[in-house]
Amino acid sequence: MLNVRSVFWLQRRWKSGGKKRWNVLQNKKNNCDRAIDSFDDFYGSVYGTRWKNMRAALLTRHKYIAMVNNFGNTEQTCSMLETDGAINMKSLINLAQERLRGTDPATEGQGQNRYEIDDKLDALLRKQQEREVASIYPSAGEDGASVQMPQQLKYDNVEAKEKTQSESKDFKQSLTKALENDVKLDEHRLVDPQFGTGGLYEYMPAHSIKGMEDWVAESEHYKYYQTSADFPLRIEPETLFHYPEHLALYTYEMGNCSDFKAPKKCLTGVSSHFMMDGASTLPPLFLQVQPGEKVLDACASPGGKSLLLLQTLHLDKLVCNDIQESRVNRVRRLMQEFLFDYKQRLAAKHLIFSQSDARNLDEYQQYDKILVDVPCTTDRHVVMEQDNNIFKPSRIKERLRIPELQSDILANCLRLLRPGGSLVYSTCSLSPIQNDGVVHMALQKVFIEHGITATIKDLSRQAELFSDVFKFEHPKGLKYGQMVIPYLPANFGPMYFSKITRNV
Amino acid sequence: MLRKLLFNTQIVLRQQKKLQCTRNLAAKAAAPKILEPVHIEEAIKLEPTLSIYTPELWRRAHETFQNHGLETVNFLRIVTANPTVLRRTPERIISSLEIWRACQFGETLLHLLLTKYPELLDVSDSHELLSHVGFLKSRVSTNKNVWKLLMNSPDLLAQSEKSIEEKVDYIMDVMRIEVPELVKSSGLSMSLEELRCRHEFLVRLGLFKPRAPKADPDEPTTNHKLYQITDTSEKTFATKICHVTLPEFEAFKDLHAREIERKTRKRKEEEDFSDDEE
Repeated sequence: MLNVRSVFWLQRRWKSGGKKRWNVLQNKKNNCDRAIDSFDDFYGSVYGTRWKNMRAALLTRHKYIAMVNNFGNTEQTCSMLETDGAINMKSLINLAQERLRGTDPATEGQGQNRYEIDDKLDALLRKQQEREVASIYPSAGEDGASVQMPQQLKYDNVEAKEKTQSESKDFKQSLTKALENDVKLDEHRLVDPQFGTGGLYEYMPAHSIKGMEDWVAESEHYKYYQTSADFPLRIEPETLFHYPEHLALYTYEMGNCSDFKAPKKCLTGVSSHFMMDGASTLPPLFLQVQPGEKVLDACASPGGKSLLLLQTLHLDKLVCNDIQESRVNRVRRLMQEFLFDYKQRLAAKHLIFSQSDARNLDEYQQYDKILVDVPCTTDRHVVMEQDNNIFKPSRIKERLRIPELQSDILANCLRLLRPGGSLVYSTCSLSPIQNDGVVHMALQKVFIEHGITATIKDLSRQAELFSDVFKFEHPKGLKYGQMVIPYLPANFGPMYFSKITRNV
Repeated sequence: MLRKLLFNTQIVLRQQKKLQCTRNLAAKAAAPKILEPVHIEEAIKLEPTLSIYTPELWRRAHETFQNHGLETVNFLRIVTANPTVLRRTPERIISSLEIWRACQFGETLLHLLLTKYPELLDVSDSHELLSHVGFLKSRVSTNKNVWKLLMNSPDLLAQSEKSIEEKVDYIMDVMRIEVPELVKSSGLSMSLEELRCRHEFLVRLGLFKPRAPKADPDEPTTNHKLYQITDTSEKTFATKICHVTLPEFEAFKDLHAREIERKTRKRKEEEDFSDDEE
């Protein structure tokens, strides 16, 4: 009974109770705190008072939608979900369609608040730049020099100018104050010992700081949002929307936060249903895949959106691409779990996995439809989870340059589309820079470099069909797309999506 | 409140009517010292169950209370709110008054407390009361603060020490609210779950930032006061304090309860697991 192997010696330490030190009580700032602070600052100025409602929703667990697996015991699963009180999304859409048929299409258009958000971001960029200048040159703020700062200069120029200003003012002040200021300046120019003191004698241009050559200012990030359009762009309303006949999505009504039952194994050996963030169902739905089309999911992992495309039973060929092996494997596992004819599909090349950077795919003009669900700050993830958090201090460069990556991916995907084909760009971020800003940048880039023009499809009429389930951004400050915003009774999203058709 | 006010004015009005029938006119108009039939009539109107008691019982109880410094008006408030007091023997009334006196709130404050919550006279176990009051005092430091607490939430006497301890710990350690603010609210009447839910909601909205442990206590905060958080109805709390719609708060309550449940379940499982190991 009591053999040696089953006896474990566990050392345990019991901390004595009593009062803890105050610095223990005041917990250290972690990645999530950093993320929420940054959002408070950024989204607070973009969304105003509405941000706090979104904040509470982001910090609370999100709501799921259950997607019934058509390759399992479909009817049985549907009836199980229905007895729990879930509603089929299809019936909700049909109801909304009937309701909207009588009314005229909304003529208000998208433009009313369009320029408001531009102004807000402009102000934010200026504020951030001022703050950075103040952190590098504390004396500048005291002198009131920052007030005179030019508004739209490049960061480097601003820095250079500030420096000359603060230096030229020094001689006016008393000697002691000047000395104090010098000490302050010195502190911020400390040279990291790893570069060696020898580096001090190298020539440095007046606008950069030794040891901080590759330092990225936070304000760089906000500069990705441009407003000048120097490429032809048409925005036209999307006319058609068909809800896929065979797709069964189940959700609870707004305000009902019940959970779904866990998936079961079906007779065919696959799981009965898949649970995903409800807002993730919208981009593949609006892609409107028709039978016989060739589709690419450019950033497929974890695979929920690809699976939804397969569940419509329309697909001829689906390519799931992702950058890392581990992420591709994750999609592979998911497909194995949900498709009983996984091997046949794989053999017949109906389902292809590819592992490559979406920026380097080069099957130009091959695809009818592309789903571009780019890597983003994943707002819900970063405020909740410590792991794989992009607000980790060491990932700052990666984070600030995300818009660049996103627009490169989107631009490349536009090239992969055959003329007349369309793609849906989506992110799960509230940031206007990663949403409209990136769409703008990518369209600009493909026009300048490859002469490709595109049409933005306005989905606002279609989004109205889903207004019983999701809370959409309204009044709309978005130029090119729609956004589901987190809202406690319907805690989906955030999810931005924009449909772009390549012109013939 | 309205009822008390009405009752007072009625008494005064009746007294003025019957002025000529009484002997010490001036004295009674100012502060009635003697129980009159008209008082009893009024009291019975407010609380019909009082009609079964004989005038002798009325007189006896009134005398007892008067001997202990409670005025007729206060006596009438007490009996209308807690009619069984009349039935008690003077000894019993005196003993319960003595029990309360032992808490050392001071005569005036004690009378205010007993007039506000006459049910407190039902307390009979002096040992239990004293130990409970002692426990409260250990958390809020003075007798006066204990009195303030009881004035705001008399149900504290019926709560277990453990549950009070949990709530006080939560308010002081997690919300970082100090005693003076705590005793001004009826936050302790609320269940810990509800308190935590309201606090957590404010935190997630970004409207409540806990003070730094070493912050200067005089430094003003933008946080809402505890009484604003706890002494409001759900609708007022959602719309006036949090500035959100009621459905949002209700959804949050539901989600938060599920979250707590998930967490406790997880913790339990972990504990079970570690027990297995040992």
